[in-house]
Amino acid sequence: MSYPLNDEQLMIQAMVREFARKVVATTAAERDRTKEFPADNLKQMGELGLMGMAIPPEYGGEGADTVSYVLALSEIAYACASTAVVMSVHNSIVCESINRWGNEEQKKKYLRRLARGKVIGAFGLTEPEAGSDPSAQTTTAEKDGDVYVVNGTKRFTTTGKNSGLVIVTAKTDEAKKHHGISAFIIEKGTEGFIVGREEDKLGLRASDTTDLIFENCRVPAENLLGKEGDGFKIAMTALDSGRIGIAAQSVGVAQAAFDAAVKYAKKREQFGQKISKFQGLRWIIADMATEIEAARQLMLSAAAMKDAGKNFTAQASMAKLFASEMVNRITGKAIQMFGGYGFTKDYPVERFYRDARVFTIYEGTSEIQRLVISNHILKDKRKP
Amino acid sequence: MKILTTVKKVVDVELNIKVNDGAIVEEGLQYVINAWDESAVEAAVQMKENHGAETTLVSVGGGDNTDVIRRCYAMGIENGIHIEDPALDKADSSIFAKVLQKVYEAGNYDLVITGKQAQDTDSGHTGILLAEYLGLPCVSNVIGIEVIDEQHISVSRAGDSGTEIVELSLPAVVTVDVSINEPRLPQMRGIMMAKKKKIEEMDLAALGTSPDEVGAGAPKSEIIEFMESEKRKGGQKFEGDAAEITAKVVQLLADEAKVL
Repeated sequence: MSYPLNDEQLMIQAMVREFARKVVATTAAERDRTKEFPADNLKQMGELGLMGMAIPPEYGGEGADTVSYVLALSEIAYACASTAVVMSVHNSIVCESINRWGNEEQKKKYLRRLARGKVIGAFGLTEPEAGSDPSAQTTTAEKDGDVYVVNGTKRFTTTGKNSGLVIVTAKTDEAKKHHGISAFIIEKGTEGFIVGREEDKLGLRASDTTDLIFENCRVPAENLLGKEGDGFKIAMTALDSGRIGIAAQSVGVAQAAFDAAVKYAKKREQFGQKISKFQGLRWIIADMATEIEAARQLMLSAAAMKDAGKNFTAQASMAKLFASEMVNRITGKAIQMFGGYGFTKDYPVERFYRDARVFTIYEGTSEIQRLVISNHILKDKRKP
Repeated sequence: MKILTTVKKVVDVELNIKVNDGAIVEEGLQYVINAWDESAVEAAVQMKENHGAETTLVSVGGGDNTDVIRRCYAMGIENGIHIEDPALDKADSSIFAKVLQKVYEAGNYDLVITGKQAQDTDSGHTGILLAEYLGLPCVSNVIGIEVIDEQHISVSRAGDSGTEIVELSLPAVVTVDVSINEPRLPQMRGIMMAKKKKIEEMDLAALGTSPDEVGAGAPKSEIIEFMESEKRKGGQKFEGDAAEITAKVVQLLADEAKVL
């Protein structure tokens, strides 16, 4: 890899790689089968400092840069994509949003617990009728004295069941459209906050994805994140960071599929020789490696831009778009190289294939990434 | 209590090592912390945490050892010294032990914890030679350390006929086996702190010695040649009637393997 990593980044990568392959990977296939939430992994990740990587040390975090974070996330994804998506949403979207938009009291109250992994965070933006168009959401928050009364349903919330707090967007002023959306930190156990149906998914099966239902849920006004009307901005900013995370997740899963496929190709014999000796497969291997490397460079470039304090919206979208499409091609090719065995659960590549499928969908579909990128180039923002 | 622990950076022997013309092919080699030394570091850090010991790590030779020493910092070691000198290029265990002797004498330590061997040469000499040169008591192959008081420790060692418990008065040298503990993974916080810590880089002159004094001019042992170990022959597979196979196997065990 040509991208220069410093000693600290290399140490973080090495530490997480060791942890991921020794601990996380060993239970990934079983949890894929049983849908058991990776609570033990996340507990250990909290102790290692992987659940508050970007949170400043004064709030109990590590103060690591984004490059270190994506390296760590890739390593976790290499071992278990379900664990990685929980880590990604928790770090990139929840911790970062509270750190960026929260007031001092909110930071003190929540960040330390989040950073240690004592509480896992979730983010509720998507609704049954509001996916790629989040401004169409219908969840409302009506001020009533010193509380907001929240009503509505959120859909496809990652870690909806196993999280301890959720950042939820809701309309505080219908007339202002997306400028009328606000964000709230809502803790589990708040009256009127109900975890709804859990999805039965193709992949990422050990990560719970649920509906969240709010029925006259009375949220203290002090839990408003930012100001009234900041919610859409908070969500979009969070997604910029989250998209680098999905790129990292894609790179990790792609590398895992690639390594498994190469190992298999060097071992499997057909027509009297290792299948890795056939030019047809060697070219596939070369293309796979090239695609993974390209995605890794885009991921690192977006992360480095964020660390440098530059606007990284388009780069994050490019990294997410390319890496998520890439991992779907790579995992498909990996199965092809495994032949019939790749189609079975005896080998991990079918799990990689299923896990990767959602990467082009969540945190902004590939089509939405293209919208973001083209708007950035043409600077004539238009409706889809 | 002041503890000195040692770390060697070694070739990762898990990877495929190639030999060409009696020398190891350098290309593609990767280097890691010696596993036994990592256990020594963990033992030292545990003594720091449980008994307030002060921990210093020394690494001799190995070129740029920054990554290995920083990893030990991230695990909890407080001070790091790296001794590098061109005269140490062909150093053997005796020379390493002489250099460590100088480090020990400059630091007034109570206990030295080393790995009992290194996975590159597997000679297992350095820690024991160091104790000999220092005239200190030494226990090797240690699998447990307990602090009795500031002047005494009790160690258990894996002996030939069982676990031996040895009480030691300090100062002393112990060489540990990997089974003594499970070295921790460095936490993020440790890694972030490690970058701020300085590594004391010294050559032999800075250590107050010379190549002649440590014997670097005339190593007592020399590696003349590396050879690849012979590949194991494949086993034999027997198929067919169980009774016939059993008879055949018994015959082979008696006639060929000569174990019956």
